[in-house]
Amino acid sequence: MTRLQERLDEFKKSFESGAPPYNAMHEAIETMHRATAELKATGIEERALQVGARAPSFTLFNQDHVQVASAELLSRGPLVVSFFRGHW
Amino acid sequence: MELEALQEIYSQVRAVGAEIVAITAEIERYTRALHKKLNLTFDILTDLHLRTAEQFRLVFTLPDYLRELYNSFGSTLDRFHDEADYRLPIPARYVIDKAGGIIRAADVNADYTIRPEPAETLRQLRKLSAAPTA
Repeated sequence: MTRLQERLDEFKKSFESGAPPYNAMHEAIETMHRATAELKATGIEERALQVGARAPSFTLFNQDHVQVASAELLSRGPLVVSFFRGHW
Repeated sequence: MELEALQEIYSQVRAVGAEIVAITAEIERYTRALHKKLNLTFDILTDLHLRTAEQFRLVFTLPDYLRELYNSFGSTLDRFHDEADYRLPIPARYVIDKAGGIIRAADVNADYTIRPEPAETLRQLRKLSAAPTA
């Protein structure tokens, strides 16, 4: 199985080459790099909850409009929570 | 890409008695479509107005120049999130222990092009399952 980070790096290389199918503009890539650097500089990674903290509980709707509670999932076993940006 | 990689380890995650949820600020119209497109068997949850992401302290607001760029790509976050603010969580993967709901692993990166390996997450879960639970 290919490592996830290798797949991501491959995609990034292809995107940042400016070639099809993405045809990314050089300026756009520069802008994205700048934004990431600025975000890192805000210290957001250090402020995020870290190992040893109690995880906040949540109850949210899933893709089928069914409520899912973290407390219920945790009553059965360990839980992986993956925050992601979105479908785009 | 990360969701697909998590799907690849999902049966092994279940085999150690653990569960996965993916969380996004997007409304259900988009989570439903994505869930179907990727053939996921774990849930995608809608964190409306990023309330849960805020509690994990992961939320940032996109600067105006990035908002314009994303809009030019068709990434209209105001529509996706049902709010005018262009806010996002930084990508983060947490492993939460059954015992006390304590965070045992945290991978947080402001650079969205870097993600932790699912194999490492699986290793952390196996370690937790092997440990005696309180």
